[in-house]
Amino acid sequence: MKALQSVSGWPTFNGWYLWGCLFVLLIGLGYGHPTYGQQPRPSEARSSDGPSSVDYIRDVRPILSTNCFACHGPDDKTRKGGLRLDVREEALVALSPGKPAESELLRRVSSADLQEVMPPVKTGRRLSPREIEILRRWIAQGAPYAPHWAYRAPTPPAIPQVVAPSHFPIRNPIDAFVLYRLKQEGLTPQPEADRYALARRVALDLTGLPPTPEEAEAFAQDPGPDAYERYVDRLLNQPAFGEHWARFWLDLARYADSAGYADDPPRTIWKYRDYVIASFNANKPFDRFTLEQLAGDLLLEEEGYVPKGQPLNLDEAWRLPPAALDMLIATAFHRNTMTNNEGGTNDEEFRNVAVVDRVNTTFTIWMATSFGCAQCHTHKYDPISQKEYFQVFAFFNNTADADRSDESPVLPLWTEELIQKKQQLQQQIRQLEEQLRGKKPEEMPELRKQLEEVRKQAAAIRPVTTVPIMQELRGPQRRVTRIQHRGNFQDLGEVVSEGTPAVFHPFRPDWPKNRLGFARWLLSPDNPLTARVIANRFWEQIFGTGIVRTSEEFGTQGELPTHPELLDWLALELQKDWNVKRFLKLLVTSSTYRQSARVTPELYERDPDNRLLARGPRVRLTAEMVRDQALFASGLLSRKMYGPSVKPPQPNLGLTAAFGGRIDWETSSGEDRYRRGLYTTWRRSNPYPSMVMFDAPNREVCTVRRGQTNTPLQALVTMNDPVYVEAAQALARLTLQQGGSTLESKARYAFRRCLIRPPSAPELQRLIELYRQARDRFAAEPARAARFATDPLGPLPGGVDPVDAAAWTTVANVLLNLDEMFLKR
Amino acid sequence: MHPRLERLQSLTRRHFLGRGSLGLGALALAEISGSWVEAGPSDGVSSGPSTAASGNPLTPKAPHFAPKAKRVIYLHMSGAPPHLDLLDYKPELVKHDGKDCPEEYIRGKRFAFTSGVPKLLGTRQNFRRVGRAGIWMSDAIRPLHAVADEVTVILSMTTDEFNHAPAELLLFTGFARQGRPSFGSWVCYGLGSESQNLPGFIVLISSGSQPSGGQSCWGSGFLPSVFQGVQCRSKGEPVLYLTDPPGLDRTTRRLGLDALRDLNTLQHQELGHPETATRIAQYELAFRMQLAASEAMDISREPAKVLEAYGAVPGAGTFANNCLLARRLAERGVRFIQLFDWGWDFHGTGPNEDIRDGLIRKGTVTAKAVAALIQDLKARGMLEETLVIWGGEFGRTPFREGRTSQSALLGRDHYPDCFSLMLCGGGIKAGYVHGASDDLGFRVARDKVHVHDLQATLLHCLGLDHTRLTFRFQGRDYRLTDVHGQVVREILA
Repeated sequence: MKALQSVSGWPTFNGWYLWGCLFVLLIGLGYGHPTYGQQPRPSEARSSDGPSSVDYIRDVRPILSTNCFACHGPDDKTRKGGLRLDVREEALVALSPGKPAESELLRRVSSADLQEVMPPVKTGRRLSPREIEILRRWIAQGAPYAPHWAYRAPTPPAIPQVVAPSHFPIRNPIDAFVLYRLKQEGLTPQPEADRYALARRVALDLTGLPPTPEEAEAFAQDPGPDAYERYVDRLLNQPAFGEHWARFWLDLARYADSAGYADDPPRTIWKYRDYVIASFNANKPFDRFTLEQLAGDLLLEEEGYVPKGQPLNLDEAWRLPPAALDMLIATAFHRNTMTNNEGGTNDEEFRNVAVVDRVNTTFTIWMATSFGCAQCHTHKYDPISQKEYFQVFAFFNNTADADRSDESPVLPLWTEELIQKKQQLQQQIRQLEEQLRGKKPEEMPELRKQLEEVRKQAAAIRPVTTVPIMQELRGPQRRVTRIQHRGNFQDLGEVVSEGTPAVFHPFRPDWPKNRLGFARWLLSPDNPLTARVIANRFWEQIFGTGIVRTSEEFGTQGELPTHPELLDWLALELQKDWNVKRFLKLLVTSSTYRQSARVTPELYERDPDNRLLARGPRVRLTAEMVRDQALFASGLLSRKMYGPSVKPPQPNLGLTAAFGGRIDWETSSGEDRYRRGLYTTWRRSNPYPSMVMFDAPNREVCTVRRGQTNTPLQALVTMNDPVYVEAAQALARLTLQQGGSTLESKARYAFRRCLIRPPSAPELQRLIELYRQARDRFAAEPARAARFATDPLGPLPGGVDPVDAAAWTTVANVLLNLDEMFLKR
Repeated sequence: MHPRLERLQSLTRRHFLGRGSLGLGALALAEISGSWVEAGPSDGVSSGPSTAASGNPLTPKAPHFAPKAKRVIYLHMSGAPPHLDLLDYKPELVKHDGKDCPEEYIRGKRFAFTSGVPKLLGTRQNFRRVGRAGIWMSDAIRPLHAVADEVTVILSMTTDEFNHAPAELLLFTGFARQGRPSFGSWVCYGLGSESQNLPGFIVLISSGSQPSGGQSCWGSGFLPSVFQGVQCRSKGEPVLYLTDPPGLDRTTRRLGLDALRDLNTLQHQELGHPETATRIAQYELAFRMQLAASEAMDISREPAKVLEAYGAVPGAGTFANNCLLARRLAERGVRFIQLFDWGWDFHGTGPNEDIRDGLIRKGTVTAKAVAALIQDLKARGMLEETLVIWGGEFGRTPFREGRTSQSALLGRDHYPDCFSLMLCGGGIKAGYVHGASDDLGFRVARDKVHVHDLQATLLHCLGLDHTRLTFRFQGRDYRLTDVHGQVVREILA
């Protein structure tokens, strides 16, 4: 860890001191930190009754962007009256710096004349008095412009020197930035959460699973000063880590086990899912992870695994070493686009749709830029032209896939054993052919028959699985990219070649003009966005909300960061080595993360979503975590990793997909019923219903942020879904077998399997009371008891009283539904 | 954006503004409180102050202006009904039946299953003028003749898509690709739900298949998922996971919920998170919903006369059952009831997709249920506040489908340029025909209504301005009608 930068008193560079004063005064205008805006004016900043300073980025641009740029912005096709307001030189026609009264802009936005007022009446928009006042003050200040914060490269910020309270030690610079802001706000951080809460919170965050009560206890009793760090290290090294973080990535990658659109047929692409899990577990540097997914096929050439410029024969790909195969599998990332098999559709049309999706998804994931607008017209808010859009499109427009129903090209994958057998048979074939050379058909009929047979055997060896991949087209097969007017693939314009938008950092001449070069461009240290965007994504996963809340949008229409310096510091920290585990460890070992989640009504009212981080994160678990946790607590969860997706129990709907196969499925048997949610077959038209209720997306398109709703339908899932009933039954049986001899010890045991922490006395009493009530009810109706304790888990073990089992199942069902179960505490 | 996030935004902003010592801060506070009072209902849907007030995004919200309709029953015929054999009578087409399609109508056009020069296909159905307005209807939908005086027929509908899935997405989400919120989600987002025991947006599917557009037709897109449609079934468990586990009686369930409430309350006291209180309330609602939904979805107690009128049979899962359920759900305050009926893709590829007898069979049972629904709603005084829409995602060609030109069966290909749709109830003219197609039915002759215009008009009936019903996502304000849509005032009562 880098030592804290020691600066005496206030940090001095970049006008920090002045900003510190101004900042308190400016809080009233919103979140943004003023560093990104124009420089302060000390005289104004210090005076609270004089004309106050307005910041272009924070205060003015949002108003102009929301209300004006659609007609007076970068898009010259829709520009009205020739007026452009996003560029100062051009806007001066309507602005008289320093003289609000003489500015046409101000006159029009405040006009009472319905013919004159801007925005026009028909838009339904009207500037509020506050917005007009902001514009007036801005013009009075000289109408200064400033570049958008996110398009300027992050610079190493000074780490604030703050006096830390004893309950909140500065463990790393995150704490310094957070505490500095809290002090500005007059808030105090919470002390560290208790060990059990921490044990569960950080295990859920890093592995998606709670710890076992034993693991938690070992950590809770660990007297070592670095007990927490060692606990975190253990979690980072669990295979469950990769499974959990793969889920996060698969939402972005829109991974699904079906091809999408109307009939939504199954698609075999799970090798890609396994690649993501393995990559997170191997702590593959994020830059490498990016290169492989966007351009693994081209990387293969660059690294000498295959000859340059020659198409790879996929039937011979098994000869490649595993690392090289992984690079090909990685490219399935962009084969997760949908394929349209509906009768009468045009393959070229939907190939274009897939390429558009690849462009937009890439920009969303790495740049948090809603690039898609520029597909049909020049972007209305960010300076990206339609031509530039299709220059990026050109990078992705030359792969061999073409919306075919067989998903070709696909990479066959073999086991070692199969490869040996294949080689053996090929050897035999060669020998037999040798023997037959020059012989007439009527000669050696036996040998001929033998050859036929061996050939048949060789052909019968099928790959274990296949995965759709990206393969660059060569020579005359390459497509020419043209601008598509209004995004219509048949309405073509000017020919364009590969290139990146001028608003961003330049594309270096030594990079190849292909996907690999494009991926390098994304990862370049000159890129102001990628490191910030990715750091923000990890932050969002851990803390629940990004430093930039709109983690999908860093462009001018996105929100400003709550802690801009912290975001820059994190971005630079991540960019050093793109080491994901190190970065996550940094986040979860901060005092900020380790705070108690307790909140007072005042603080909640002040900051309901914990943007200022005056308390620990308390965020709802994802759909997969809700499921996995219930299975984990009840001892049912299978820890089997990898392989084809599975089909856990789901209700039968008795419907088919349009023109397509059945929606209902044959439930998997054995431990495949109890695999982690990540391995559940993801059918886009019908994602697993109980996970949908907990905001799992259908994965038709890239999902950046999932919802965190709290609905009655969720209650029905965890109360009544046979999966959860089965979990309650299993937990009840475990409780009876392992929970000791007394009611107290049993209740305590069941409670701790679910919530990790020991129960309080009132909690314990309430559970025992419920047990007694339920037992009385079931004792009167033993047939009901037997049913409730065994359907669907199966017969009770010998010697277990069904009434007892049913009563504990009732208790377990309640435990699995506790509010605390759905949240990281 | 999540309502809680919205809430945070407004609360924090208000708070920060209130604390600010600048003149601007005070000004801003005044402006915000002012606009809340002044524009509360109208802004309620785009900036969410009313959700901020209650914390429950489904709390009923006032519309932008006084509504005519309170709820919607949308009857969608998946596959696109052959409108030229049902509502749009074209004697000229009958006259030219079997002739080559004039080149001007097919030049440069793409059709799903037809290439070359197809033959014109006049209807084989018997048409007659019905009702005071003399609306043309064919005998394939004979039962609907009786409600002709209640409905508006639009003969000039048009869409941009000629494949089922994109056309359904355009119709139900305003955009031909996945990812946008559906019509019902927008309406619930804008108006909340009137029922506190049932979901605000319910989907019922009949004839065995989902619509081509899949669950996206009732998905919430980027709106919070509480607004997505809940698929209910008229057969089996009406709502997924509604039924208590086998062996658990209601009393024991209640005992468990009491314990759950007590334990959650302890947790609430310790950590102080309002979300815990919300969860307690949601479990109580779930408990009530178990009864309410089962009761609402049980048609077995309906009088035999009513069942007969619809053609409904308890336990059958048919379109007729779903129409009756739609009325029951409407009575119970469900805001948006969306029906999908499969089997309207009349290509002529099988006897059930033949535009002669196949259409009469499908049309008659369907029309019977729709007519019964309209009459039932009227008899109960609910029609004037319930919008009922019947139609498909596009129309069908005035010529014979290419693949089946040699078969004994008659069918039509997909056709987006001109089609028909029927609607009635809340705010819509009774006994009226809007627009017209040209003589052969290829083009809209007058008063073109794009699906975006239809959406704008339906929202208008609900008191919502389609340009103001917006949601900010990825830095842009999105709406159901994308950047299009004009209210069709001529069809408003």
